[in-house]
Amino acid sequence: MTTTASPTHAPTDTAAPVYNPKSESVGVKRAKSAIFHAAALILTAIVLYPGLWMIASSFKPNSEIGGQNTSLWSNNFSFDNFVTAMDGIGGVSTLQFFTNSLILALGAVVGTILSASVSAYAFARINFPGRSLFFGMMIATLLLPFHVVIIPQYIIFQQLGLVDTYVPLLIGKFLAGDAFFVFLMVQFMRGLPAELDEAARIDGAGHARIFGSIMLPLMKPALISTSIFSFIWSWNDFLGPLLYLNTPEKYPLPLALRLFVDQTQSSDYGAMIAMSVLALLPVLIFFLIFQRYIVEGVSTQGLKG
Amino acid sequence: MINRRHFLTTVAIGTASAAALSACGNGSSSSGQTGSAEKPVTINYTWWGNDDRAERTRKAIALFESKNPDIKVNGNFTDFAGYWQKRATEAAGGGLPDVMQWDLSYLRDYGQRNQLLDLGTVKINTDAFEKSLLPSGQIKGKTYGIPTSTNAFAVYYDPAKLAPLGIAEPDGSWSYKEFNDFLTQVGTKSNGALYGGTDYTGVWWMFNIWLRQNKIEAFTSDGKLGFSKDDLKKWWNLTGSLRGTNAIIPEDRVTQLAPKSPFGSNATATEVTWDNFMAGYLGDSGAKELKLVPVPSDDPDNLGLFLKPSMLMVASAKTKFKDAAARFIDFMVNDPEVGQIFKTSRGVPASKTQRDGTTFEGTDKLVVDYEKSIEKYLKDAPEPPIVGFGTLEASFKRIASDLNYGKLTVDGATDAWFKEAEDLIKQNS
Repeated sequence: MTTTASPTHAPTDTAAPVYNPKSESVGVKRAKSAIFHAAALILTAIVLYPGLWMIASSFKPNSEIGGQNTSLWSNNFSFDNFVTAMDGIGGVSTLQFFTNSLILALGAVVGTILSASVSAYAFARINFPGRSLFFGMMIATLLLPFHVVIIPQYIIFQQLGLVDTYVPLLIGKFLAGDAFFVFLMVQFMRGLPAELDEAARIDGAGHARIFGSIMLPLMKPALISTSIFSFIWSWNDFLGPLLYLNTPEKYPLPLALRLFVDQTQSSDYGAMIAMSVLALLPVLIFFLIFQRYIVEGVSTQGLKG
Repeated sequence: MINRRHFLTTVAIGTASAAALSACGNGSSSSGQTGSAEKPVTINYTWWGNDDRAERTRKAIALFESKNPDIKVNGNFTDFAGYWQKRATEAAGGGLPDVMQWDLSYLRDYGQRNQLLDLGTVKINTDAFEKSLLPSGQIKGKTYGIPTSTNAFAVYYDPAKLAPLGIAEPDGSWSYKEFNDFLTQVGTKSNGALYGGTDYTGVWWMFNIWLRQNKIEAFTSDGKLGFSKDDLKKWWNLTGSLRGTNAIIPEDRVTQLAPKSPFGSNATATEVTWDNFMAGYLGDSGAKELKLVPVPSDDPDNLGLFLKPSMLMVASAKTKFKDAAARFIDFMVNDPEVGQIFKTSRGVPASKTQRDGTTFEGTDKLVVDYEKSIEKYLKDAPEPPIVGFGTLEASFKRIASDLNYGKLTVDGATDAWFKEAEDLIKQNS
């Protein structure tokens, strides 16, 4: 469509009345795209509003949070809440709560990755007697509500003298107690071609070698989605630490957060919200670093499973 | 989502602990192991509360340990809701801490299941306590809890909100009609910018006080309802003409303001509730000063008021250190220095020794002075509430709010509450 090749056609480019299906479809596409983006932006704004509210409130004095105060803006913005939040609670520093949460969350990630991947390998690749029975039993634990086992579990750990340690919170992770992750990895491994480990076996590799050199590298997406989920779940867990930990020095963040709000006395919503903002940061960072894998991990399972 | 999960948890814990608790219980009577300064015994103490209370309790524990070198106290704390989930699990597992801060509404439940130590069998000095107060920690002649502190019902108001409207501050001697007129005046003069108050007929304890004013028992001694449907109808009709006007804040506004109270959000001029909420209201509203006056009554000589233990100290029935536990409880409720540490943050100290040894200033003084001013009207504290009382209280509030929404008539609301209450009492008896 150069002007030198067909000069007579040049006016039609600017003359609107001439029917041009191509240019109209571009226009429609543009309009559609604009509407889509506008709608998406509005939705995002709605979805993000609570987050924005939280961040704005974390800078406001306690008496301006909630109640009749609907505006996001305040004339009394200050960092006081963050100072109070970082002060700690009852002599325990906030850094300590962060460290505890981090120990629990990283422990959960390491434990789950180690135990779930090995168990998944056994279920997916080794044909041992009773395999489907055990697999069924594992799936059955998925259907068992957590609340049913709270008391029996507590009694066991109480008798073993393990209450007020991190053992009750972490031991399950190191023993592939999270059936969901084992199942996720089994499904992922079943999608990997069996020819790969057959070839390795012909070359003389045993199970350990096949698992370490063939399976693990291929399972990266599944391992990463497992890490993300188990990190976030452990970071947000409230009930487990509440029941098993007694010493305030061992409390993770979710327990500490609740201590700012006491309906029977006075509630410091400002400090609680400021601490929530701080508590969200590690999860957010963790998610941002690994988020491209999470989509990969989930979608590849969908394709191959 | 959190509600559903929370509900499931509570149900699971509740059911399981109910089963487990019935199997527990023991009757050992030794005074337990004792320690020495070289080899101290360690007792666990747990409480609910915020940062402020944790700080104060730590100081009290340090003081106790310096005075009692043969005992070490391990303190730990959680928030109120989590506190009871944890206690239910521990009770089922047999691992309740030695000494615990306790709430009146859970006393009968745990006491009847033999989870709590009969404090009458150990040495705790209760000479400095009002005789009318102690029965609230007793069930069938056994003392399970010692009150640390008391609270009483009162009408809060913010003088700074009344002055610009040209409304005189109340002096606290008023009938229900005068109180209603006051609420209406606030709503009318402010043109709806400020509501008079929340509908006080939705507050169970206020109803309880009204019953006492009319010499009716809320519960009979065998745990049945002591009042009739007509009484409740009369009560809910008290504010019948106020609902829907600016005298009473509409229920949807109350919901919007939650978790803050309407009074704490500066939406109302008054609030009828316990006097130990003062610090919370001051913090929430940012008000300079709040005042307390007695509740209305049609009989000026009978205000129906009483002191209620705002919290109690209890010990686990299974504690190995009964003697140490008793000494710690005695110290926490009686020692004047402990009073100096806590001031009124637990409520007004219940023991006279502790109360007299504490200097109260500012807000603290206001609350203490209020309780002093109503002294001559005080009647016996109620017995520990029946099992399931929390549910009854909550359904009272819920049904009263339906009344305010206009979803129910007074007759319908009364029938609905009586049905729930009678079912619940039948289940638990």
